[in-house]
Amino acid sequence: MTQNPPISLSLLQPGDQGEVVEVQAQGPVRQRLLEMGFIRGAVLRVVKLAPLGDPMELVIKGYHLSLRRDESACILVQRLA
Amino acid sequence: MPLTIALAGNPNCGKTTLFNALTGSRHHVGNWPGVTVERRSGTFEHEGSALEVVDLPGTYSLAARSDDERVAAQFLASPEVDLVLNVLDASNLERNLYLSTQLLELGKPVAFVLNMMDDALGRGINIDVPALEILLGGPVIPTVGNREQGIDDLKALLAAMARGESSRCRRITVDYGHDIEGELRALETEIGRDEVLKVAMPPRWLALQLLENNAEAKQRIQESHAREAIGLQLAKSFAFLEPHLGADGATLVAERRYGFAHGLVKEVASAADEGATPTSRLDAVLTHRLLGIPIFAVVLVLVYSLSFVLGKIPQDWIGDAFKGLAAFAAARLPVGELTSLLVDGVIPGVSAVIVFVPVIMILMGCIAFLEDTGYMARAAFIMDRLMHVMGLHGKSFIPLIMGSGCNVPAIQAARTIESRQDRLITILVTPLVSCSARLQVYIVIAGTFFTPLMAALTILAMHFLGLALAVLMGRLLRSSLFSGPSAPFVMELPPYRLPMLKATLIHMWEKGSIFLTRAGTTIFAGATLVWFLSRYPGIANREWTLEYQQQRQAVATLNLPPAESEERLRALQLAHESRIVNTSLAARLGQKVEPVLRPILDPEHKRPEAWKDVIALTAGFVAKEIVVSTMAVIHQASEEPKAGERLSPLQVALRDGSGLTPLTALAFMIFTLIYTPCLGTLAMIRREAGSWGWAAFTVAYGLVLGWGLAWATVAIGHALGFA
Repeated sequence: MTQNPPISLSLLQPGDQGEVVEVQAQGPVRQRLLEMGFIRGAVLRVVKLAPLGDPMELVIKGYHLSLRRDESACILVQRLA
Repeated sequence: MPLTIALAGNPNCGKTTLFNALTGSRHHVGNWPGVTVERRSGTFEHEGSALEVVDLPGTYSLAARSDDERVAAQFLASPEVDLVLNVLDASNLERNLYLSTQLLELGKPVAFVLNMMDDALGRGINIDVPALEILLGGPVIPTVGNREQGIDDLKALLAAMARGESSRCRRITVDYGHDIEGELRALETEIGRDEVLKVAMPPRWLALQLLENNAEAKQRIQESHAREAIGLQLAKSFAFLEPHLGADGATLVAERRYGFAHGLVKEVASAADEGATPTSRLDAVLTHRLLGIPIFAVVLVLVYSLSFVLGKIPQDWIGDAFKGLAAFAAARLPVGELTSLLVDGVIPGVSAVIVFVPVIMILMGCIAFLEDTGYMARAAFIMDRLMHVMGLHGKSFIPLIMGSGCNVPAIQAARTIESRQDRLITILVTPLVSCSARLQVYIVIAGTFFTPLMAALTILAMHFLGLALAVLMGRLLRSSLFSGPSAPFVMELPPYRLPMLKATLIHMWEKGSIFLTRAGTTIFAGATLVWFLSRYPGIANREWTLEYQQQRQAVATLNLPPAESEERLRALQLAHESRIVNTSLAARLGQKVEPVLRPILDPEHKRPEAWKDVIALTAGFVAKEIVVSTMAVIHQASEEPKAGERLSPLQVALRDGSGLTPLTALAFMIFTLIYTPCLGTLAMIRREAGSWGWAAFTVAYGLVLGWGLAWATVAIGHALGFA
């Protein structure tokens, strides 16, 4: 099975699942995202977008989290079928 | 010396509820030194052992980036802490254990509380507590904090640990694997060369933070004489680990910690049931694409009405009671300085403080309720897009809107914003939001100079102007003073929970009493100062006092019907006060600064008495609605309209005698909106921003901005042919 190239988390649609490949953010944002569970291999599911289109709600490590597009754009994920 | 227990845990893990359950009412709320982070500490006794509990701010990590994390990390590392009590949310164990992996590195005994066991069971999660105790190397007590289940067991355990009777703590730390552990040991050796560093915190903990590229830890190293050796070793470690394990230090450390947490959860807990939870069902409606915003609007209206409509009732009682008290005192006491100090200074001063308490308590109760239910995070989720455009956080929305009721509790409400930058910006722009006290000024002025329809539109426009200015100022501050990297918006949406009434009531009581003790003194002192400025030297003039007394006696001897006699006496009083105020220090100040304000209040040099506006504005510093009552005194005209007339005597006097034109009246309103926050707001800014500097900054920018806008209004108005 050939794998698709990883895409940025902000491109996932509500309902999509993905597996974290890499956190590309730097500095404090990077550490914060790592602490919140965005480590390699972590599986996440996008739940919905806020009524105004941003931020996004997702489930990771069994809890719900919201991220702005600024942050989700720096997370690379592999879309899961 | 009682043993000190530090209560640590993630946000939303029920820590504060547990703290309340442990300490009951025996606790104290203060601030951590140097920061505006609340510090709660309390004591409890169990079978003769006295223990002190300190509730740390809820954090996801000890990385020391935010004030909250810094406070928690520093306190936990300090020798003051004898025992760490780590509160874990049983229904969200894996993420909660991330913090535990850090707490275990601190070298202190750690006991664990598995809170919200009912939630976990409800989601089908069964936890093997004895197995968890073995894997974490410390005692674990399951609790349901909001039903006080397990609290006695917890107290017994803590007391036993205090007496040194429990030896259930073994030191367990995450095993970071052969490669990382090797580098950690090498770093520890280098750190160990500096005795000061070695004692300040466990060298392994510092080494871990260095590997994570933590800015605070690197700063610490810079102050050490061993900085070169440590820096060299760190570079070596990075050079070895990155290519070897395929990621940077921060990623590797986080992965190993989550690996530990994940393995542990798999070992001791059953997986949660699939399918909809009550929270997801609620969220399907509350953050719905179309329904989310209308529902939020309804919540906002409810909170607003509760706070400012319902809250106005006790507020009016308080106001009336103090007015009655002042009238009572004035009628009984001889005319003079001391009476004036009491009647015009102390009583209104105390009133100006206490009058805020009902609104503060109700609004803070509502905010706490929204926080504790979990809806606050949803409100931020819904509004963040809009607030982001302004350079703010979604959580800034509620304080800004509540500012239109009263700025004082609105600024207090900004506490819910975690990032210091976002919180400061919100605090600094909230005073621009037009509050209900300023509304009273607009009603009088606009009602005088505009037709009823135009007046209504003008008043509405003032509110929009306030909001627009808050937005602009927010953007300006973000791009100038706070241009550093903005805090990431990574916000948990916690499960909905029903808060305990007791917790909300405790919170309301705390907020009310903090306001009275901390802000109250400032407001009171300021009110007394303004009284002094607007009464001296006239109030000490014996001749005037004597004259006034004789006039009163003359009226009394006329034997008029009571109503008429009353009216005459009131007119005499107004004349007497007017004489005092118009020759006061504030009046002199007004004459001094009048040239500065001339372009906005008297552009055509037709108002010889424009300086009188300055007296009203000075008095309005205590509370904006006082602008109106001061004008009544200055112009010797009552603010109460006579039966059947649209304009009050004050409005007639303003229209005919003050020389204000519709254009300068508008400028006056704009200046009143912006020129300075009232005393209560300033006291709150000082408390919430942490320094008088920010309070002074708000006054300074308000004066400049207010003058500029009022001037522009006059200039543009003139150019368009208005007068």
